[in-house]
Amino acid sequence: MDIFEIVRAIAVIVLGASGTWLLLPHRHGRIKPARSTLVGVVLSGIALICLATLWKPPTTFLAGAFFYLFALSSLAGAVLTITSRNPVYSALWFAAVVLSTAGLFLLSGAQFLAAGTIIVYAGAIIVTFLFVIMLAQKEGRATYDRMARSPGRATATCFLLFWSLLYALIALKTPPGLKPDDATDSRLARGSNLLIAKGIAPNTPEASVVHRALSPTNRLPDIDPGTTALGRHVAGLGGTLYTDHLVTVELVGALLFAALIGAIAIATPKPPIRPVQSNPPPPAS
Amino acid sequence: MTDAFTFDMLINYLMIGAALMVLGMVGFLARRNLIVMFLSAEMMLQGTALTLVAFGRYHGNWTGQVFTIVILTVAACEASIALALILILFNRKSSLDVTLWQEIREPGQPLTVDDPSQAEVEQFEDGPETYPHLTPAGIEPEHPTWTVHRN
Repeated sequence: MDIFEIVRAIAVIVLGASGTWLLLPHRHGRIKPARSTLVGVVLSGIALICLATLWKPPTTFLAGAFFYLFALSSLAGAVLTITSRNPVYSALWFAAVVLSTAGLFLLSGAQFLAAGTIIVYAGAIIVTFLFVIMLAQKEGRATYDRMARSPGRATATCFLLFWSLLYALIALKTPPGLKPDDATDSRLARGSNLLIAKGIAPNTPEASVVHRALSPTNRLPDIDPGTTALGRHVAGLGGTLYTDHLVTVELVGALLFAALIGAIAIATPKPPIRPVQSNPPPPAS
Repeated sequence: MTDAFTFDMLINYLMIGAALMVLGMVGFLARRNLIVMFLSAEMMLQGTALTLVAFGRYHGNWTGQVFTIVILTVAACEASIALALILILFNRKSSLDVTLWQEIREPGQPLTVDDPSQAEVEQFEDGPETYPHLTPAGIEPEHPTWTVHRN
């Protein structure tokens, strides 16, 4: 583990936490001076750049450029989503986060999910927009948009969690002497190497689990040269979804149906359950 | 042939996923607008989905993407129910402030009291898009009266 990386990770945590805290609304709703907002933007930007230096760039230039573009824009959009005073701007920045995440999905070979995320979340964001327009007050009028619920403690807690995650990930990084994809490196063996790397004997329950996870329908194409996969892209995903995960599909459909019924039952206007008994109803004759 | 999605790429994706999740958590804990809290929860789900997709890609199987589809479905269910709840809560209190619903907190928790007098209202100057004030269009003319002639 590189001590320099630890220093950069600490810089990410400290600068990111203080920048986010400066950008969040004030606890009592006081107006923050423009200088503190500027300092918050600068600190968050430095934290973002420090985090970017912790990433290892992909081998090809184009993939690397798009990776950095999508990653940085998703994180910047995330900071702006949670710090915007106006919920309309929050929804817009969240749209930026969703688009960037869809780009990252595309870079990691999840074409269907990239399209599906954009379709599902575009609908969700438009509905949120409608809600904001219907319900929210004008910018600067709603007190609760300019008051944060204990922002210091919330930021400290969450960035402590981020520190623990980041430390664990940095400790896992490939040491400099080792090649990035060494087969002898068994810290986190790939699916196809699991049986050898973990020393799992055949005909044990663990081996059957591994075989089930690596069935031909469940295998990504073009990864392992010696193996065969059934379909590419969406065809492969549909293949595994309707063979290995059929019960999941049924369960998820039932969940959607239940949520539909629940949403209708909640949102329908109805008389209160326990009305105030000011004048009791006449006894039935 | 080495896979382009190396172990270090997986770590990159996990870092981004962790950062998205943590920022969503900050928003969920610190913001008071119900709609912004809902968006923050969706952002936490996005971070988790990114992590799962990267793990699936690293191990060379579809399981991560299948799990992400499940997350997407649960997020859709959550969105429908959350927006229905927001509608109902807004109808009761005419406000999106989550602090107004403190009476359903856990028993034994202290009441959070805010001092809204300390809040300052930002003054917004009217931009060029604001509607101009129309001058009144004169006095209302006398309405014509009809008399019905019957033969």
